[in-house]
Amino acid sequence: MLKSTIIDNRVRIRPSKKVLDFLANQKEHFTQVTDNVAKLMKTNGYDLPENIVILKDDGEIIARPKIDNVLLKKLIGDVPDPVIKKGKSHKQNEKPKQEEDGVDVEEDELKPVKGHFLYLKDCHWLNNTLSDLRKRKICEIFLYELIESSELILPENELKPRNPELEKRCQRLREEQHNREYHKMTKSVDAGLKYYPEDTISYQIKSLNKQIIAVAQFIFSVAAGFTFGFFGVNLMVGPLPFGFRILLGVMAALVIALAEMYFLAKKLHEYDEVLDAPKRKKEERPRTAASTSRVEALKPHSD
Amino acid sequence: MSTQKIEKEAASQLLDSLYLDMFHLIEDHTQSRINIERTNASGAILLARTRFQQGGNNSVSVAQIPTKNSTEFNALCRVVSASDEKNGNEISIERHAVEKSTGYVEPLNWFSVLPPMSLRQAASTFKDCIELLAESANLQRQLDAIINNISSMKQFIIKQ
Repeated sequence: MLKSTIIDNRVRIRPSKKVLDFLANQKEHFTQVTDNVAKLMKTNGYDLPENIVILKDDGEIIARPKIDNVLLKKLIGDVPDPVIKKGKSHKQNEKPKQEEDGVDVEEDELKPVKGHFLYLKDCHWLNNTLSDLRKRKICEIFLYELIESSELILPENELKPRNPELEKRCQRLREEQHNREYHKMTKSVDAGLKYYPEDTISYQIKSLNKQIIAVAQFIFSVAAGFTFGFFGVNLMVGPLPFGFRILLGVMAALVIALAEMYFLAKKLHEYDEVLDAPKRKKEERPRTAASTSRVEALKPHSD
Repeated sequence: MSTQKIEKEAASQLLDSLYLDMFHLIEDHTQSRINIERTNASGAILLARTRFQQGGNNSVSVAQIPTKNSTEFNALCRVVSASDEKNGNEISIERHAVEKSTGYVEPLNWFSVLPPMSLRQAASTFKDCIELLAESANLQRQLDAIINNISSMKQFIIKQ
């Protein structure tokens, strides 16, 4: 199994019944509602009053809330040493509390339909609305009391199984590679493998030919460059002093040699690599069969 | 009584904003993790491309990295504790310019005198990745602090 990249990095909160009840009870006091909350209420059978403005998600980025650090330090200062908890243990601590509340049983039955979660934006809206309601003395509920009973869903990686075709192909390539390495290693040990084409004279002469041709090309083009500088310029411009002609020829040849050198080096390097690696597996198969028979044939002779 | 009530209200409001901040931090942290993953993957692919283009596995390999017996050199990149407490950043990355005379060598030159384009790109991608890692570590520290604060705030409110 492979983990794929997280696509949706939003924190989701699955609202509990407490949240829904609160929303249903206080709906007359809202002046505006985010569309996500509106959808959530509609799917759970609550109608919103008609004069409510529904806020569309406009992709606006909400700034992080300001935290009054001075007050925080003052308040926490009284609390005896907060046990250091990591994220997970913290969440586990929350769970038994839910059960104590007794909401848990009902909550399971009335869990909102999947796909209707509260996002960060809705939390902000809820916070603002709550502080508004508190100011107007309508209710005395805080956000933490509401979301305490809700479930926090963290962004997670999706698990994807590895493509079996890819797996098969990787396996085959690995085997080929190992086989090649093995053959290369045992070439000098196993007499049966000695008659590889790269060891025959014709094969070596062939590859030598290729290299010779590459070198000859280099020499020819350099010579042509020199000839052009030595004779060509003289013919075009008229009689030139001998020393100058030589200089011109050498310069032209040098420029061509530099360019050609690069290609030559590249080509020779390629040959090296081809010579290094034994032939591919496919071509080897019949040959191995043939060579084993040859070994058998050779045996009495060597005895 | 009334002062206590006011205090409790302030504490509750604080807890609310702490929760909201935690959600923000979780999202930011996830985003930074995703960025790390992407940057790291593209760096690895560039490295693989370098080896592919150079042919064989001798071009860029572990064998070229200096060992115990090599000459000593200074680290170009260090993790230092950051000075800006305002943003809550506790650590940051400090980079030193390459200066051969004082021992700050360019690591790319271990592999070749003229490193190929893809290797250079891979190096810069991994450098970005280190910055992202520092950012992620900072976010994680903030998140831990917030979670601790939340739990102690809860205790405080229960006590009231």
